[in-house]
Amino acid sequence: MAGGRRVRIGIDTGGTFTDVVAVDEDTGATTTTKTPSTPADPAEGFLAGVRKVLDLMGLDGGAVTAVSHGTTVATNQLLEGRLDRIGFITTEGYESVLEIARQSVPDGYGNSYFWVKPPRIVPADLVRTVGGRLDPTGAEVRPFRREDAVAAARFFRDAGVTTIGVCLLHSYADDAHERAVLDVLHGEHPDAVVSISSQVLREYREYERSVTTLVDAAVKPRVAAYVRGIRERLDALAPGVPFHVMKSNGGVLSAEEVVHQPITTMLSGPAAGALGAALVAGHAGFDRVLTCDGGGTSTDVTVVVDGEPALTTEGSVGAYPSKVPMVDVVTVGAGGGSIAWLSPEGTLKVGPRSAGADPGPLCYASGGTEPTVTDAHVVLGRIPPHLLGGEIPLSADAARAGLTSLGERLGLSLERTALGILEISAWNQANALRQVTVARGLDVRDFTLTTFGGSGSLLACRLMDVLGLPRTLVPPDPGNLSAFGLLTVDVRNDHVQTAISRHADLDLDRVRAAFAALEDRARASLDGEGFARDVQVVQRTADLRYVGQAFEVRVPVADGELDAAAADDVAAAFHAAHRQLYGYDLRDDPRQAVEWVNLRVTGIGPIRRPDLVTLPARSGGPERAVTGTRPVLFDEDWAPTPTYDRTLLAPGDVVRGPAVVEEFGSTVPLHPGFAATVDASGNLLIERAAR
Amino acid sequence: MSLTDGAPADPVLVEIVAGTLAAIEKEVETSIGRTSRSPMIRDAHDFRAGIHDRQLRKLTGRSYSALVHPVVRDHPVATMHPGDVFFHNDVYLSEGGIGHLPDLCVTVPVFADVDGVPTVVAFVQAFGHHDDIGGAVPGSMPSAATSVFEEGLMVPPIKLWDRGVRNEAALAIMTRNSRMPDSLAADLDAECSACLAGARRLGELFDRYGVAAVEACFDAVLANSTEVYRREILSQIPDGTYVWEDYAEHDGVDPPMLHRQRITLTMDSSRETPLVIDFTGTGPQAKGPINHCGDYADGNFLKKWLAPILRNLAATPERMAELDVNEGVVPLIEMRFPEKGTLLTPVFPAPTNARTFVILRLLGVLAGVLAKATGGRMPADQETIRYTGVYGTDSDGTPYLMREVLGGGSGGRWYADGEDTIHVVPDSRNLPTEFTESRFPLRVERLGLALDSGGPGRYRGGCGYEKHVRVLRDAHFMSIADRSILSCWGVNGGRAGRPFQVTVDPGGPDEHDVDALADAEPLPAGTVVRIRTTGGGGWGDPLERPVEEVLRDVAWRKVSVTGAREDYGMVLRSDGTCDEAATDALRAERRSARSGDEPFFDRGPGYALLSGGATSNEFDVL
Repeated sequence: MAGGRRVRIGIDTGGTFTDVVAVDEDTGATTTTKTPSTPADPAEGFLAGVRKVLDLMGLDGGAVTAVSHGTTVATNQLLEGRLDRIGFITTEGYESVLEIARQSVPDGYGNSYFWVKPPRIVPADLVRTVGGRLDPTGAEVRPFRREDAVAAARFFRDAGVTTIGVCLLHSYADDAHERAVLDVLHGEHPDAVVSISSQVLREYREYERSVTTLVDAAVKPRVAAYVRGIRERLDALAPGVPFHVMKSNGGVLSAEEVVHQPITTMLSGPAAGALGAALVAGHAGFDRVLTCDGGGTSTDVTVVVDGEPALTTEGSVGAYPSKVPMVDVVTVGAGGGSIAWLSPEGTLKVGPRSAGADPGPLCYASGGTEPTVTDAHVVLGRIPPHLLGGEIPLSADAARAGLTSLGERLGLSLERTALGILEISAWNQANALRQVTVARGLDVRDFTLTTFGGSGSLLACRLMDVLGLPRTLVPPDPGNLSAFGLLTVDVRNDHVQTAISRHADLDLDRVRAAFAALEDRARASLDGEGFARDVQVVQRTADLRYVGQAFEVRVPVADGELDAAAADDVAAAFHAAHRQLYGYDLRDDPRQAVEWVNLRVTGIGPIRRPDLVTLPARSGGPERAVTGTRPVLFDEDWAPTPTYDRTLLAPGDVVRGPAVVEEFGSTVPLHPGFAATVDASGNLLIERAAR
Repeated sequence: MSLTDGAPADPVLVEIVAGTLAAIEKEVETSIGRTSRSPMIRDAHDFRAGIHDRQLRKLTGRSYSALVHPVVRDHPVATMHPGDVFFHNDVYLSEGGIGHLPDLCVTVPVFADVDGVPTVVAFVQAFGHHDDIGGAVPGSMPSAATSVFEEGLMVPPIKLWDRGVRNEAALAIMTRNSRMPDSLAADLDAECSACLAGARRLGELFDRYGVAAVEACFDAVLANSTEVYRREILSQIPDGTYVWEDYAEHDGVDPPMLHRQRITLTMDSSRETPLVIDFTGTGPQAKGPINHCGDYADGNFLKKWLAPILRNLAATPERMAELDVNEGVVPLIEMRFPEKGTLLTPVFPAPTNARTFVILRLLGVLAGVLAKATGGRMPADQETIRYTGVYGTDSDGTPYLMREVLGGGSGGRWYADGEDTIHVVPDSRNLPTEFTESRFPLRVERLGLALDSGGPGRYRGGCGYEKHVRVLRDAHFMSIADRSILSCWGVNGGRAGRPFQVTVDPGGPDEHDVDALADAEPLPAGTVVRIRTTGGGGWGDPLERPVEEVLRDVAWRKVSVTGAREDYGMVLRSDGTCDEAATDALRAERRSARSGDEPFFDRGPGYALLSGGATSNEFDVL
């Protein structure tokens, strides 16, 4: 064993593979590997991954300084609907808040006639109400009726319901009644796992807060068991090693803490990928980035400005809205496994249905019966006839047969069919990418596309053309970027308090007190994570709106004393952000009052980011990396096209299209008219070739 | 008629063009939704974008939209320039595309290069329901208006932007006539910029692929749609002629009466235009504002407005949701209108601001006539729009108006119960109590479901709201609602749902009901007003509803124990379980009491109050 080497390990558990990245704390060198995921007990795959990467490096558990983990345990449980019976306690008069929801029917006009509402997270017979009422300031209108809470607790106990969510009206303003319910539940029904809304999300809007709280409660038992299981096994390997779990807000949190707020781990995998891409692209000098994480089923897209992925509190997981802050990941139903099919209207469609990894595309020859995007790539020679460096052979014949048969129904040749499938897939992705920027008042042409994941880079040149993008950056080892991203994130915790007040009437003492309370909570939790006060970073933000608006804009609140001038700065920042997002502001209109809505504090415990390693220089030009040629069809005609081994490329190399750059787990087809330059860190920068 | 005389479209490009049209429509709506300021646009989502080709055919299909016809009628295409933006809201000069004056419509021509000349190749259009465009009352919807002059400022199609330059004079006139000039200006800005951006995007598509190739795709998209409706929808309607009618119950001026809307539907699968919808028999123009200008442009607007109902004939709910309604439905439908002077053919200046009553009811009349044609394979009735509000002054003396569009229950379907408290307009949202109470001097004491409001049936209608609002300061209540006397009908043995009802001080000494058309019902501080909205109609015989589903309804507080007995013939023991022997006996007794010639539709008890005592009419039987 190499003496004294210390590594940090990132593990991203996906649906098919568990990706592992280990970074040497001293040299920054990374070692990556993959192991099969073990959905029955994801902890198995996790530990296998840790052992595998340590074996590769010739190290044992003593060398591990920390482990960061991105998990989809909570997400999958929700998406697959594997929820236990949950109980819900709410305010008297609101027993139907889940049935009513927000009255909205999705999508088209007239759908209200045939739409069938999905089942509610709690059936109506498991909802109980308690008397007592607060007003929006938290003042008590009617006293808490303890006997109602006792009756509810006993009802759930007798019914064998052990997972319970509590959301009372205006509890964001004062949590006294919710804490009283919690006390009763502890006394009457001690086995119950409980989430109360004032601890999950102190933000107004009762329906969304209720569902968020219930989702938190629903996934709590499973997430807690999962995290504890890993902790125990990790202790056997590396006793007491810090173990962090990725959160959807772009931070990590210790496993001990995350079991108390499991909802914050939703969508943490995509968040890690976006953060990794943001770090790599930022290091390469690009501050406006669209990250495009292409997998088998779908593609995840995120907007990054100045290194920070956009956050949203309007997210959802499956059918359930989740108001906790999360990296704003837009998922497009376009991935390698997306199926090409003929609609009843007789037109060619691609996705959103996917063959996934099982049975997978036709070319996997493992039972798939419908042609996919991957099959089209194989037919055109854009990807090699095998996956993962040769571990999985692909059947080009099966792909050709499937596409030929589809093409015959359309009157198209095999090649036109394959090109058509890819063109439609590219436009689907392009329209989604544009929607993501339009919704934020941004121009997509100002962004550098950063592609990763197994299928993320395959259509990069087409996306640049369709969207008018200046360049695409493909990081090294793009198949493992999410696991790498896990190692780049800080410990991060969000705290929010709704406190509605017009700017002109702002009670600065009250705002300062609220911020101080939030900061105390943020610092206390960072203390618990082991961060000394002098390294803790506390960021304040506030959500403001014009009076009458039903949505808010988040703006930063500067450090230091929040005096009248500082508050005016916040309002000014709001006007500016509003103009950026929505194209106008009402700064000069004295009749348009500004309103403060939510106060937020984010506590950050900084970690040391891995250094990006400079790729060593090599002699000669890119020819050294050529592994051969194969016929590839890009636009009109088949042409013998050189293939490159990416690992043999060196900084300064320029690969001109047509070409295909290949590496373990990922392929970059370079169309004619495009060229890829290798930068100092080994990124491929694809741009239009100078003509 | 087509753009390209049948030139073949590239099948790949068709999908790209269709996907891009849908994406542009969504981008325009996203942009308007985020930059507008009227609550009716922002929160109630009462706005729509549409993309039309140069033959004025609507290409996109997620929702209805206004028409381009009036714009090109008054401004020939040859006179248009890049950067022009057209505006109109004049109902009687809108060719039937605009129903009431608060719907402000913006149209932007799309240009592409044809033989070196910038040429109009398409239009991007949007309209939104703005807060106020003047007229007799705030909100521009006077419920007792007797002429359109009381309803606000009428603007015929005008050029609002000329080659990129705004017509400030026109804007000044419009904002001067609104009680909310700032939000009006902001909303117009939002619509104009969104449509201009959409037009640029669409222009890029033409530039990339060429006008001929893109237009061939437009033709293909619409032809595909026509073919799918012919094959999957119209094939479900047996050839024949079917008649049905339904009613609005009041117009705000006359006492409640039956304001008749009748459809005679003739299906002839041998005709190129197989479906004839004839409105003859529709009642006279109302004195009040429930009229709708339908008889323009061959009913082009109404064809696309009503076609979403046809989707209910598709094989599954999933397939229904996939079907677009674009201009492709128009060649399948012929509309015939009665003489001038009816609810659907009003004569200027008849008022129209509450025309929602009539055009929403028309959706139900078409659903009903199709139910007759198909032996009941259509959903029972729903009524999911009404305006309720409370207004007064807050503790600072500032006036406030809490106005909300509350949904209702949808009708039972042949495959599922109706849904509770939903709204026909996509993404229209109710107001969270925690928002209402922080903004207005109100306390929402209860936001629940109206017990027993869903029409009984094998598939029960969805429940309406039961909302209790306590005013903390003296205030007034307003309401614009239909279906407060007449119910949402049940079909095929299903029974009607409960109607809309507003009660002041329920259970208290001053308890009294309020008319559904109320401008200013006084509410002293501390008073509770209870609003119950409509339950959907039931589908199929309620005695056939399985016992376990009724038990679940009781457990879920949607049906009372009394309701289970009265409506479903189900006997519950005191412990909440079903007494099956007693239930069987009661159900048998109920069945034997039937005459066998019960009507196909159940209109509920309110119908007899307006019909002179009859409980059904000649068209209600199969």
